Amino acid sequence: MATDKNKHLNDVLTSHKVSKEQDLLDKHKRKRDEICDALVEKYGADIYSPFNSGSFAKNTAVNKKFDFDLMAPFKRNAFSTLENMFNDVYDFLLEKYSSSAHVRKQKVSIGIEFFADDKGDIVKIDVVPGRELNQDQYKEDDKLNLYVYSQFGKLQSGSDYIRSNIKAQVQNIKDNADRANLRQKVRLLKVWKLYNNKTPKSFFLELITIKAFDKLEISGGLWDRLKSVIEYIRDNVTTVSLPDPGNSNNEVADSMSDYEKSALSDDMRNMINRIEENSDYIKIYFPLNDKFPVEDTSNNKYDERKVAPSIPPPTRFG
Amino acid sequence: MKLRNEEIGLFLEISDDLLRTIRESGLLHYPKEFGGILIGNYSTDKKIVNVIDTLLPTSYKSSKFSFERGSEGLKEQLETLFNGAPSLIYVGEWHTHPDAQPLPSGTDIMGLTGIAKHRDVNITSPILLIVGLTPASMELGFYVYFKDKIYRYETY
Ligand SMILES: [Zn+2]
Repeated sequence: MATDKNKHLNDVLTSHKVSKEQDLLDKHKRKRDEICDALVEKYGADIYSPFNSGSFAKNTAVNKKFDFDLMAPFKRNAFSTLENMFNDVYDFLLEKYSSSAHVRKQKVSIGIEFFADDKGDIVKIDVVPGRELNQDQYKEDDKLNLYVYSQFGKLQSGSDYIRSNIKAQVQNIKDNADRANLRQKVRLLKVWKLYNNKTPKSFFLELITIKAFDKLEISGGLWDRLKSVIEYIRDNVTTVSLPDPGNSNNEVADSMSDYEKSALSDDMRNMINRIEENSDYIKIYFPLNDKFPVEDTSNNKYDERKVAPSIPPPTRFG
Repeated sequence: MKLRNEEIGLFLEISDDLLRTIRESGLLHYPKEFGGILIGNYSTDKKIVNVIDTLLPTSYKSSKFSFERGSEGLKEQLETLFNGAPSLIYVGEWHTHPDAQPLPSGTDIMGLTGIAKHRDVNITSPILLIVGLTPASMELGFYVYFKDKIYRYETY
């Protein structure tokens, strides 16, 4: 039997809504606040207020996995080199959390993955250390240098660095949020990425989706609109320029290698061909979150036992 | 203001004017709790409750942590509203939580359940608005009783 693609995609969005995982979300927030406090206590006047920069701040999170990134903005004079900054924050977090979490160095961040709690829930938070370009300049330009610990697309590890106005990145997707529901498309692409073990950074997917909305007239049902974005990625991913809205000198397209880009283009081509051939394939590329089956609500209503005035009894509330 | 609960697929609409009225009545009794009943109607497909007005109780007891709404005079008022055009009915309750979050207490859940099951109440899904209130701010929690459970609405 053919699958109603629009209804299915709508159900995918519903079953991956973040609020479904309120409990786990609250646990992430508590840990994030705790880490934030610990950093401020440790670094005092050398650090500005840490802030969220992951998808949660951007409202494109899906509940299979939360991207909880905590930006730790340091003053220029706090460390002599970016490498020192990265290692110092790593050492501090390792010492503080090694008995309750795996702490590891990642591309531009330090990942803290807490051991499963008694409900089997795992909280993972990435701390991204950044240093302002010149002493006291961050208050004016919001710009930070990040340390590239390991190869990041075309950016080499070690001495290299990228500059990024991360607050502007967060703002960018908020600004674009209304256009024909761009965020829905970003969420769906993230669902695809998660279940199909694909590599593109979420930020890359966000920017290319915004670009597709800029270039194309996107209309029709949910599937038609998603298909336009997928076709745009298929046709343009190998050549597209995606300047970082936080800093136009930073080319986010470089965060993927040429090989990864053509693989992504192939993935998009295959996905469209399969789904157009047989609509049931949409369930494979975009699965429901089986933890939260979507129930049929079409028969639910505000019912009345009879058409007559209701007289509520005296009632106590607390 | 438009809200829904996605899980059960039901919607709620309420005007900002009415919310202002509710806030002002609540502040008159702050820091004690206060409340009233909600009047409105359902859409023809019975998926949306439109909350249109409030009736304030003439008899009640209240303290910082509890509010007991009486029912004196309610019957006459509700019958008049029912026979009016458009016909308006009782759709639920509201009360304040002074200096606290708009989360239902055990008493609130028992109260709403008791209403839904009462023989003089013909609607099966009464709603409950809790207003977390301070002199400077208010936070709203909208709930509905549906098939033996309480659900919270979200803005969308
Ligand atoms: Zn209460």
